Parts: sequence; structure tokens; C-alpha cells
Amino acid sequence: MNILILDSWLRDYLITNAKAQDIARCLSLCGPSVERINKINIGGKVDYVYDIEVTTNRVDMMSVWGIAREASVILPEFGFKAKLKKPALQKYAKLTKPLPLKISINPALTHRVMGIVIDNIKNRETPKWMKDRLTASGFRSLGALVDITNYVMTEIGHPTHVFDYDLITTKQFVLRESKKNERIVSLENKEYKLPGGDIVIDDSTGQIIDLPGIIGTKNSVVNATTKRVLLFMETNDPVRIRKTSMTLGIRTVAATLNEKGVDPTLSDYALSLGVSLFQKICHASVASNVIDKYPKKQKQNIVKITHAKIEKLIGTHIDKKRVITILSSLGFGMKATKEGYEVSTPSWRNRDITIAEDIVEEVVRIFGYHNVPCTKLSGEIPDKPTDMPFKFEMAVKSILKELGANEVYTFSLVSKTMTVGNELKLSNPLGSDHSFLRVSLLPSLRKAADVNVAQESNFLLFEVANIYIPSKGNLPQEKMTLGGIFVKTDYEKAKGVIETLLDKLNIPYVFHPTDAHGFKAGQRLQVLTNRKYIGFFGVLMDNSIYFEFDMSLLKKFSRNATYKPIPQFPAHIEDITSIVPKNTYIGDLMDGIKHASNQITKIQLIDTYNDAFTFRIWYQDCNKTLSDEDVRKIRQEVVKYLSAKHHVTVKE
Amino acid sequence: MFENLQNLKSEAIAQITQAESVNDLEEIRIAYLGRNGKLTKLIKELTSLEIKDRKQTGLLINDVKKTIETALNTQKQQFCDTPKTWFDPTIPGSKLQTGSLHLVTQAIEEISNVFESIGFVRSRYPEVEWDWYSFGSLNFDPLHPARDDWETFFIEAKDHPKFGRMLLTPHTSSGQVREMQAIKTPPIRMINIAKCYRRQSDVSHVPVFHQFEGLVVDKDISIAHLRGTLDYFARSFFGPSRKTRIRPYNFPFTEPSFEVDISCDICKGTGLIKGHKCKLCKEGWLEIGGSGMVHPNVLKAGGIDPTVYTGFAFGWGVERVYMMKSGIQIPDVRLIYGTDLQFLRQF
Repeated sequence: MNILILDSWLRDYLITNAKAQDIARCLSLCGPSVERINKINIGGKVDYVYDIEVTTNRVDMMSVWGIAREASVILPEFGFKAKLKKPALQKYAKLTKPLPLKISINPALTHRVMGIVIDNIKNRETPKWMKDRLTASGFRSLGALVDITNYVMTEIGHPTHVFDYDLITTKQFVLRESKKNERIVSLENKEYKLPGGDIVIDDSTGQIIDLPGIIGTKNSVVNATTKRVLLFMETNDPVRIRKTSMTLGIRTVAATLNEKGVDPTLSDYALSLGVSLFQKICHASVASNVIDKYPKKQKQNIVKITHAKIEKLIGTHIDKKRVITILSSLGFGMKATKEGYEVSTPSWRNRDITIAEDIVEEVVRIFGYHNVPCTKLSGEIPDKPTDMPFKFEMAVKSILKELGANEVYTFSLVSKTMTVGNELKLSNPLGSDHSFLRVSLLPSLRKAADVNVAQESNFLLFEVANIYIPSKGNLPQEKMTLGGIFVKTDYEKAKGVIETLLDKLNIPYVFHPTDAHGFKAGQRLQVLTNRKYIGFFGVLMDNSIYFEFDMSLLKKFSRNATYKPIPQFPAHIEDITSIVPKNTYIGDLMDGIKHASNQITKIQLIDTYNDAFTFRIWYQDCNKTLSDEDVRKIRQEVVKYLSAKHHVTVKE
Repeated sequence: MFENLQNLKSEAIAQITQAESVNDLEEIRIAYLGRNGKLTKLIKELTSLEIKDRKQTGLLINDVKKTIETALNTQKQQFCDTPKTWFDPTIPGSKLQTGSLHLVTQAIEEISNVFESIGFVRSRYPEVEWDWYSFGSLNFDPLHPARDDWETFFIEAKDHPKFGRMLLTPHTSSGQVREMQAIKTPPIRMINIAKCYRRQSDVSHVPVFHQFEGLVVDKDISIAHLRGTLDYFARSFFGPSRKTRIRPYNFPFTEPSFEVDISCDICKGTGLIKGHKCKLCKEGWLEIGGSGMVHPNVLKAGGIDPTVYTGFAFGWGVERVYMMKSGIQIPDVRLIYGTDLQFLRQF
């Protein structure tokens, strides 16, 4: 959560010679992170607004006072003078004729409640100085009565509320658990149906008059004619506050603070400040005794830690005296033990500090992370598993890159229109475009290709990413998959790229035509190696060509190149032109030629013209140079095979 | 005659060596070897010599002629030019259409190389996870906001009786306990680089992104080791001119926890671009990600005794880290997941 704090306001509590920029820098290094400082002009005076990110565990710092307290400890570490001024505590005289006020709580829901009635409100105008401070902190001025509560909250860090005392005829405030479907109307005139189990304030008749810690309701809110208010602050069970606030979608500053667990001891200071502001600005007077319900005072946490542990975890030497100074200045109670310390937490750190490591954090952040040495890891280096796929994946990508392909990363989430039906569905997608986990890279790659269709002539996009195959009662199977799409590319060229990829990976392959949805009939091939399916490719309806391989299978069948002896005897190479009948699979035909003799070592298709196909054939024997007579015999075998199996005539 | 020839030879060689172009050389050739050239004239005079001298002089003339011709050719080759064929050396080359590897791939490769060089072993863990691995075992409070529907993507599936809801892991930290369970006994030095998912999309966030997670568990691992490791990475990856800092933060799975920042490359660490606030960073610093000492509860969840072992972990965004690398200058992280070839081919 980010808070905006005015430099001049901070200095009400922090007496220091550090400049705003110094404060920002030092705080960021050892405490809350000051993300920005904005220079502003207030009434002709230069001021600065700190935009501070306070982590959720440090609700104690989400206020002017809280930041001042941190800064008072941190700044001296950087050589600045810094002193913290504590907020004032009022003394309330016991009234002889107080206005009636009764508050009752359920200790399981509410830790502490304080309330006081303020009478004779005269002035509803917010003074300029307060308006300026609130505006700088991001609040809209809504009149003195509400502004005072926001001011108290920002300064002390305790959410504060005012009721119009006269609107509550019973003068009774009962904090209870809501029933399901009870309704409230917020001060913004919006009706909410409560989920049940929320903390509400009832006026003892069953009528809800407030959603405490979250938002005020219309029936109790102060207005232009309000004469008397009940100034009220309570600390409730943070878990319930968060649940209600999130379920109803009411995210007020008060709710954000309350759900983090505000320190109940702050109520005293908040009430005190509130009363004094009403007196000062509205010339009001106190009209009731203070009601304070605090049945179960919180206990301090005691954490034991050895000095050795502190030094071991930080990795450097630190004086015992320094440890004690740091922790004491942060408000911790310190008791030295034989080996270390018994540390008791201040009230505002009770929720946050529970184990020894928490104490180390406090010590080392004030000591300064920048003062911790950079030590190289020593010790045993773990063994590397041999079956990791990373190198292989990189090799595949590099080959494709060499072949002119461009790698893309697309979202693994796809829209309903891109699904085939068995995808896992998100229960809370960000939008309908990204609501299913893909089971193929095809839809994403097709979309990726579309982006470029107008601009580019021919191209190949590819991606290596997981697809997610649902598995009953278990996590889906995450299959690392290679997908690629050729656009405006000649079929033979595309197939050549796939063949080259497989060749480079030393994977033997055969192709097997199998139709599938989305591909042109008869224009899709399965890729098999050792009779096992490893992937497919084919022509899509829009003439782009898509391929997909299972990466784990590619890796499994890929071999390192092995040395084959270079043939000692030269090959006899000749071109044969054949007239091939229509509808002949040339791939099968070439396979047939290759297998016609084991002295045929290689065959290539080098030219086609209508039904004439010219093949270049390598005749070679590893034991001798083939004679013309030898070649003639092999050629005869080839011709015999071609005419018998494929009715092909060979042109002489 | 004899002397004339020697002089002629010297004179020709001198002129040839001083020639400035192929045209000059052609002129010299004509002047000496042309039909009315100086040497040709001498050859013509040969008949006027006495017979006994003719043979000797003839040999010498040949020698001179050859020498001049050789010199002319040698010099001509030095000019590397052919006067008669037009050649345009300024014509553009025809470039090959090469492919490209995605920025994220390049980033992952660089990052893993840096960590592998100091003994980290790369692992991979599920992207679709159970709540327990992503949150429960990592010491997240049952009501931690990250477990909310508006921060993490959940899958419509039956809850696991032991591990809870099925979700898209929002960080690589879900690999921590899986790694501990796999290795059982430290030392652990793992680097897990993977896809993560968060319900957010703006100038510096995309719902699907990559993180790299480092985990070290051993005896006596300290904050100093964490600093040393991060420092090594920063220097190796970003170069010596970039600055990093660590500052306090809060994560459930580390204690103490830190945030690591690097000086912004877009605004050069000033926080300003042409007088306006840099849109990407905070006052010149860009947060790379979190780190910290592994929380004892996390070690326990992974079956490792926290009284014997300590460790540190860090989880950083791959895209962010790469964007901050000098020279890339990408102002919007969403660009990275675009598929425009004009973008892809730049890298």
C-alpha cells in the first residue's frame, strides 16, 4: 500500500537536520521504500510529498507518526540528527452530567472500542492548513467533521469515524455479527446485502447503523446540520474486515488499514487528537465520558535469540552493544541472556514479529544491507542431472533460427473460439480472450501469423512452449511442444525445413499421411521415427503450413552425430527421367528406388516437368569401384521396380 | 646502344612506379612499346648494327621489353581495376533472410549461463500447480491477498484433498519446496526459469511472464552470501556501469526479505526523461524482484531441518531484467509478447 505524506507534516513529529531527499534515500535503504518525492508549493512555501510504499506487515508505518518513528531510528545511522516527538494525550475531566452513551462489544470480533460525544459543533469549514495537508495525502475535503477523521487517521494511523449522535435515538452501539442478507445503505447511498458474519454496529433495536472499519452508513452519517457527534474508533478482527471489504468490493483506506491489524493502543492517541481538533476547529466541547472497551489487552511477544545466530545469518560481525541499541531504539524491550537476548515486541509490532529471524531482519536493516559484505558461495557444488532438456531445446531453436525462422512467445491462455473442447478452464480469467489453457500451439501461432500476413512475403514463426493436457484428479500434463507456422511458403520448401531440422537432430523419420480436422484433406502427414509418432505437419485451410512436435520425443530420438567412414570408392552418379502416372506419391516412389538395391546410396529429385520427374541416383559400393556393367544391372532393377510397382516409364 | 637501352629501362620503370592510374600505364605502354614507341624504335634500329653486336643487343632488348611488360602488369594489378568493365562497388548487398531467437530466450540463456558458472543447476517445475506448492508450503497466510481471485488465476477443477486448489503459479517460488523434496539433503543450488501468471496487465506487467528463481540451501548460508551472489549476477549480466541496491521488503516465504533494484536504463537513473518523470521507474530505480533468507517454515515444508540448514532465495522477472540491460530500451513490457516480425527481427 502506498501512502502520501507531506514533509512539513512529518516534521511535526520528526525533528531532524536531514533534507527531504536524505529522508527519502535513507528510509528506502533501511525501512519503507520512498518511491517518489514530489515537490509542491503550498501557500507560497516549497514542500515535498513522499510517495511511500509500506509493506502489508507494517501497518504501524502507514501514518505520519509511524513514518516519523521509523525515520527517527534510521536517520542517525546515516549521520543525521533525528528526534521523535510523541503525539499528545489528552486528560479528560470526569463529567457530572454526561450525555448518554452505551457501547457493547463481542470480544471475539472486536479488540477495542473507544468513543466520546462531542457537542456544540459550530464551524464546519475545514481550515486551509488542514485542507492542504489532506489534499497532499490524497484526500478530498468533505467538511471539517469528516476531514478531522481523515486527518487523525493519516497522522496517527488509526481509522476514525464520526456518527451524528442525534440520529442514534437509542444512544446505544452494539457491535455484533451480521446475519446473512442483512442490508445496509452506505453513506454514498448504495445498498449492500451482507454476506453474513460481518462485524456491524446495531443501535440495539436490530437496525444496523454502521459497517465499522469499512464504511459509514447513511442512517448515522454526519450532515450539514449535525450538532453533536460521537467520535468513535475501534479495532476489529482483521480477517473479518478483509472478508467483508473484499466480498462487498468496498475498498476504503480505513478497510485497508483495519484488515492489516491496527495496534489497539493507538486508539488513545487518535481519540486525543480527534478531540483536540474538534475543540480547535469546531469550537466544540466534550459532552460525555470516554468509553473504552478493551477486554483482552494484547500480550507482548517474547522472542529469544542468540547473538551467534544473528551474526551467522547476517554473515558478518556485529557488536552486541549495537544489537541492543538498534532494537531498543525501534521500541523493543531488551533483556540480555547468557548467549543472546530476550526481545519483547512493542505493541505496534506484535503481529509482525514472532520468530528469531524477524529479529535478525530488524537488526540487519538498520545496520544497513549496504554494510553487509558480498561473500562468494563456497562449499560443495551440487551434481548436475544429465537428463535436463534445456540444452536440447536451445539446440532446436538455434537450428530453426539458422533456417530463417523467427521465434515468438505467445500467451498460453486462449479464447473459447481457439479451443477444441478439452482445455482446462480458468475460473477467473482476466478477459474472455484468455480463459483456457491451450492444448496445442496452433491457435496461438495462427494468430501470431495473422499479425504479419499483410506486411510480409513468406515467413516461418515458431514457438517452444508447454501445452497443458488435462489429467483427471491431478495436475495437467505439461508437454513441452515445438510448433511452427509457414505462411506464403511453398510446400516443398516448408517440408525441406522440417526435414533439415530432423536431419540436424539426427532423427530418422518417415512420413505417414493422416487427415485431421483443420487441415486440407490428404495434405497432412504424421512424422514417425522407429514407428513412434513424434509430430505432424500439414497444410491448413488457409494454405499456411503448420507443424508440431513433442519436444521430449524429439530429445529421446535425437542422437549425436556418429562418424561414418568416407567411401573409398567413387560413386557413379546418373540422372534418370521418368514419366510418372498421375496421383503417384513421389516420396513412396523414391523410397522404392532407394530400396531397389543396397548399392544405391542416395537419391534426389532434381527436376520436374509436367509428368516427367528427373531423379539423380548415386550408385556406390563400399568394397569396389562399380563398373559400367554393375551400374547397368542396378539400373535394370530400378526400371523393373518402377514399371512393375508404379507403371512408370523411364526415358532413355 | 647498350647504354641507351639501360637508360630506357630505368626511365620506363621509374615512370611505371610513379603512374597513378591504369590510364597512365596505358600511356606509358604506348610510349615505350607502341608502334612508334621508344623501344620499338630501338628495335627498328637493330638492323643498322653490326652483325656481331646484333645478337647481344637483341637479347638485351628482349630483356628490357619483358621487364617493362612485367612492371606494367604488376602495377596494373596493384590498381585492382579493369578500365573497360563498369563495376559498381556501392551497389547494396543482397542480404540473407535470417531467423531470430526471441528476447526471452536470449535472456534466459544469458541468465542461466551466469548462474551455471557459479554452480547453480537449472530445474523446471509445473506451471499449473496446487495451492500448497504456490502458497501453503511457502508460509502464505490462508487469507493472503495473493490467494485472492483477483490476483492469481485459478483453474476450474476439483481441489486436491491435501494440496488445495489448482492454479497457475504466480511465481517460480513454487519450485522451492519441490526442489527440496527432490534433492532431500542439501546442498541445493537451483535456478528455475519458467512461465508465471498474474492477473494484471499494464505498461510494466503482463499476465503471462517469466521469472527466474534461485534457491541456495546449505549449512551456514548468510545474507552476505545472498549479496555476493546478486552482486556477481548484476556485474556479469548488466556490466559494471549499472548500479543495484537492496532494501527491506516483506515476503511470506523469506525472513529477512529484500527487494532488489537496479538503476533504470531508460532514464539513466535520473528518474526524468526530457524533464518529465520516467514512466517506467521510480526515481531512477526499477525493482527487479524479491529475495531473502528462506523462512524456516519453508525449509520445514520441504523436509529440511532449519536448525541445521539456512538458505536464500530470489525470484526476478526475466523480461524486466532484460529490459533493464543496457541498450535494449523497451519502454513497454507488453511489446515483448507481440508477434510483429518487425519487432522480432530487431533482436
